[in-house]
Order: sequence, then structure tokens, then C-alpha cells
Amino acid sequence: MAERLRTEEMIMNMGPQHPATHGVCRLILTIDGEVINDCVPVIGYLHRAIEKICENRTYAQCIPLLDRFEYVTSMSCNWAFALAAEKLTDLEIPERAEYLRVIMAELNRIASHLLCIGVTAMDLGALTPFLYTFREREFILDLFEMTCGQRLTYNYIWVGGVSKDIPPEFIPKCREFLDIIDEKCDDYEKILTKNPIWLVRNKGIGIIPEKMVHDYAISGPSARASGVNFDIRKHDSYGVYDRFDFDVPVFFGCDCYDRYRARMAEMRQSARIIRQALDQMSDGPVRAKVTMNFKPKPGEVYSRIENSRGEMGIYLVSDGTKKPFRMRARGGSYNHLMAIPEITRGLKIADLVALFASLDIILPEIDR
Amino acid sequence: MAQLVRQFASGIYNLILGLFTTTKHLGRHAITIQYPKERWDIPERSRGMVVLLTDHETGKLNCTACLLCMRACPSGAIDIEIEKDEKGKRHLVEFKVNYHICCFCGLCEESCNFAAIKLATKFEFPEFDKANLIWDSKKLAEMGFDVPYVKPVRKKPVAKKPAAKPVAKPDGDKPDGDKPTEAKPAEQKAAEDKPEEKPVTEAKAPEVKAAEEKPVEQVPDKKEESTGPEQSDSESKEDKTS
Ligand code: SF4
Ligand code: SF4
Repeated sequence: MAERLRTEEMIMNMGPQHPATHGVCRLILTIDGEVINDCVPVIGYLHRAIEKICENRTYAQCIPLLDRFEYVTSMSCNWAFALAAEKLTDLEIPERAEYLRVIMAELNRIASHLLCIGVTAMDLGALTPFLYTFREREFILDLFEMTCGQRLTYNYIWVGGVSKDIPPEFIPKCREFLDIIDEKCDDYEKILTKNPIWLVRNKGIGIIPEKMVHDYAISGPSARASGVNFDIRKHDSYGVYDRFDFDVPVFFGCDCYDRYRARMAEMRQSARIIRQALDQMSDGPVRAKVTMNFKPKPGEVYSRIENSRGEMGIYLVSDGTKKPFRMRARGGSYNHLMAIPEITRGLKIADLVALFASLDIILPEIDR
Repeated sequence: MAQLVRQFASGIYNLILGLFTTTKHLGRHAITIQYPKERWDIPERSRGMVVLLTDHETGKLNCTACLLCMRACPSGAIDIEIEKDEKGKRHLVEFKVNYHICCFCGLCEESCNFAAIKLATKFEFPEFDKANLIWDSKKLAEMGFDVPYVKPVRKKPVAKKPAAKPVAKPDGDKPDGDKPTEAKPAEQKAAEDKPEEKPVTEAKAPEVKAAEEKPVEQVPDKKEESTGPEQSDSESKEDKTS
């Protein structure tokens, strides 16, 4: 009977407004029943021409735009751009500013991973971890608002330092957060890590072998969950990261479950870095003497930093005027999305949701 | 078979562990608040509505129409109309902020040397009509009337007090040699505009702290930027791309 049943492939759109696509991304799926035979991502719904607009702005004015480039970890975007502009100008950054940058970027990394884990859990049907992680994320956003005045688009890390020194109540609040975060991570792990439903939905799903990591230039926690030990903070150090003692968690499972575990472990390491930074930080100025309309030397430079979802790079070409001649940004999500068609072949539609969430794809970073 | 049983037992155990964690939260207070009725403390640095500040002694706006904020604005949200009197002094005619395109970045506040523009902590200004979101100086001043601020400590014009010069010199990192001489008239002009202004900070309780926080090294930074008014107007147009 089953042999005589003729099945046909069907083409189905997933998105652009599907909540599990984390932004607006359309996936054209060719499905046979529940099984995905092909998947074509369609991007560009969030295109804002950030790279082109930056050519008409001075370097200081580019930074608010870079906030919108990838709004979950704006601090890292600010930093990548500031790093590139500083390389062009040969600027010396005050030490306190370097420490503040590390603290802010690591807090932002924790906030981003919390968002990723919470959203993954919600996509797979568990609402509770989502509420818990957002509670902790709010704490971090409060810290940011107290420092720079905004909760999402910080405009904090400027060329030549940071915009403002931290308020006096920041350090006690930050320490309070560091005291609870490990305990909260334990809480999430109790709910998720060995939960049988979580295991069935994540273990062995969306395998990214090591070869594919190199082929598609997948980076960040997603690469480290496939056994690639590469972290720009450690292996191509920038800022003052070489002064801290931290581990790079590497897992070998290559699946969604290990990507989740890598993020969990990274949050604890980030908290460790912040603790050391708070201890080592000394008083001093937070901004080098640089005017708003400074003119860097002509030349080109590529700077890269470890973002929470992979390598974030800024390529700047300067012609000696106060505006960049060309700005090109590289975000990790683009490579992750392009790898999805190959990973999904043969998966079920429900697994695609888990895969999409575990790669932590943020669409504004792709469309820019 | 034994493995299946073990898996089953571990599954049940971990489910209960998870449920136990959630039960722990049952007795806790809710961290959410009922927004319009309850409010939270907005940090003082919060960047909300852009407002113009008024000098409470003279009742005039602090703005000297130097156009620096218009040039610094990345989205071209600020529109300033000026006129020059016979002495070449600038006067503010109209100051408009276009809230459709303002991105609340705070660069205008940063670039202003006269404490004339500020991002206040107010954030509730929805409108039914888009056109109502372009505010003129009257509305901006009205909204900013009760916003506390610190008057910048202004150095006396160099001609009157030669002692001020060596103070400014060591920490001023000057890119071109002729800038300090350019800065002089700008300062003098500022002093003329507001002769009553005292160089002491206003003793407003919440703001005294902020005054202390302001790092000292920012002062020479701004001094360099205050050469801006001397730059040609054509440059300002080129900057203002939108
Ligand atoms: S920078 Fe300040 S003083 Fe100059 S035009 Fe703007 S608000 Fe007025
Ligand atoms: S906050 Fe930014 S966008 Fe808004 S008016 Fe000021 S400089 Fe322009």
C-alpha cells in the first residue's frame, strides 16, 4: 500500500515573520512530508545600507550607526570600529578605558548569551528559562543604562576611549551581579542541561563537522562546539585581554546541545574576566585627547574582535579626510546562515528551529 | 533494557530537579511592574528627549548659535536658523529638532560647549501626527525649563586675566599651532553673550555629583572643538548629510 502512495515535494516559505527566525529572514524550504530536502535563505529585509551611510559620516558619527549594526552586542560593534580607527590614527588609549571596554564587552557577551539560551529554550517550547534569562539580562541592561544612558544602542566605546567614566554606584552593582550569575547559571542548567525533552530536541541535531567549520568560516561558540579551539581574545589578543586568566571552552559534540553548553561555559568565563578586570582597574582618564572631527592617516586596516556570535571585523579605508573612504563590516551570522542549507538537508522542520536558534543568528547583522 | 530504565529514571529525576527550581521562584516577588501606575528610577544619564536649556538668571536660552551640535548630529535632526547682526555676532532665530530621525545618540550634548542642549530623562512624547514631532525652540525650551544642569566653568577671557593662559596650555594637546589663537575670540564672544554668568557651578542637589564626575581632561578637549564657529559655513553644509 505504502509503495503505491505517490508523494510530492512541496515548497514552503518559513518566515519572514516567523518568530523563530530572530529578525526577518525567509527560508524557502523544499519539503517532503516533514523532511527538508532543500533550504534557500532569502535575506535583505532589514537592509539599511549602514556601510554606505558610514562613508558620509565622520568617524565619531559612525559609532551610533554601528550600534544598529548588530543590536544585541552593540558594545562589541563599537569596539571593533574604534579599534580600526585607532589603528589608523596611532592613538594611545588610557588604561582605565581599556579595562572599561573589557568589562562592558564581557557584560554584553553575557547578556547576548542569556538572550540566545532563553530564546532557544522558548523556540523549543520551554517558556520558563526565557523569563529567567531575561531577568538577569535586565540587570545588565540597567548597568549599561546607568553608565551610558541607553539600554540597547549604547554609543559608549568611542574612538580614543569610552564616552563617560562609570558612575560610582556601578562597581558595587556589578559585583552584586557577578555574585549571582554563577548561581543563576546553575539554575538554568538544572532546568535544561539534563532535561530529557531538551536532550531529545538538541542532542545529535544539526551536526556541523570540523571541516564544515573551516569551509564556511564559522566562528565563535558555534565553532568551538565543533572542536575548533579558536578564540580571538586568546589567539589574536586585542585590548588588555592578554592580562586576564581565562579558559576557552571547547566541545566536540558538533551539535546543538554542545553549542548550548559552549555558551553556558563562556558566560562563566566572562564573569571570571570581569572579576579580574574590576580588581586590576585603576583610576585615571577614560578618553584620549582626540577631537570629534579628527583625520586619520591615509591607509587601510582590518581589525577583528571576538563577538558573542563569532568574529566581528571592520575593514576601514581612509583617504586622510575626516570621513572613511570605505567601511566594510563582517559579522559572524552571515557565514552561519549560509551553512544552514547544507546542515539542514535531511532534518525535520522542527529541528531547523532548534538549529537556527542554536547558531544564534541575528538578522540585522547579515542585512546591515 | 537496563539502560532504558536508567534513562527513564534519570529523565524523571532531572524533570523533578527542574520543577524544584521553578517552585523555588513561586514565593518570590514579581520583578515586573505595572508601568503607567508604577514607575522605576530612571538613571540620571538616561538619554531621552532632546531639550534646550535656559539660563534661569537671565531667562534666555544658553544657546549661542555656534552650530556645533548641528554638525555633530549623525542623522541631521537639528536645524538651526541664525542671523548675524552688524557686528558679525550670531543670534539664534529658530532651533528645530526633528524627532522622526533623531536617534538619541547624545552627540549634540557632547559637542555643545555652553550647556545649551541636553538629553533629558523624559521619554514619553508620543504623537498622533508625525508633523507634531518637529519641535521648535519654544517647545524645546519649555520642556527643558525644569531640567537640572551644570553650567560649564568658563575661563575668563585671556586678555583680561593673563594667568589663565598657562593653566590651559600644558594639558591642551594642539594639533595645529594656530588653533589657540583662534579659540580666543570664541571665548570672548561667549563671555559677551552671557556677562552675568558666574563661573561657579549651580548648587542643585542632584547635579553636584555629576559636576565632580566630569573628568578634568575633557576641558581641553572641548577647547579645541570650540574653534568650530570660526570654520566656514560651507563646511557645515557639507557635514549635514541626511
Ligand atoms: S552646540 Fe550648543 S551653543 Fe552651539 S548651537 Fe548647538 S546648542 Fe547652541
Ligand atoms: S541625539 Fe543625536 S540624533 Fe538626536 S539630535 Fe542629538 S545628535 Fe542628533
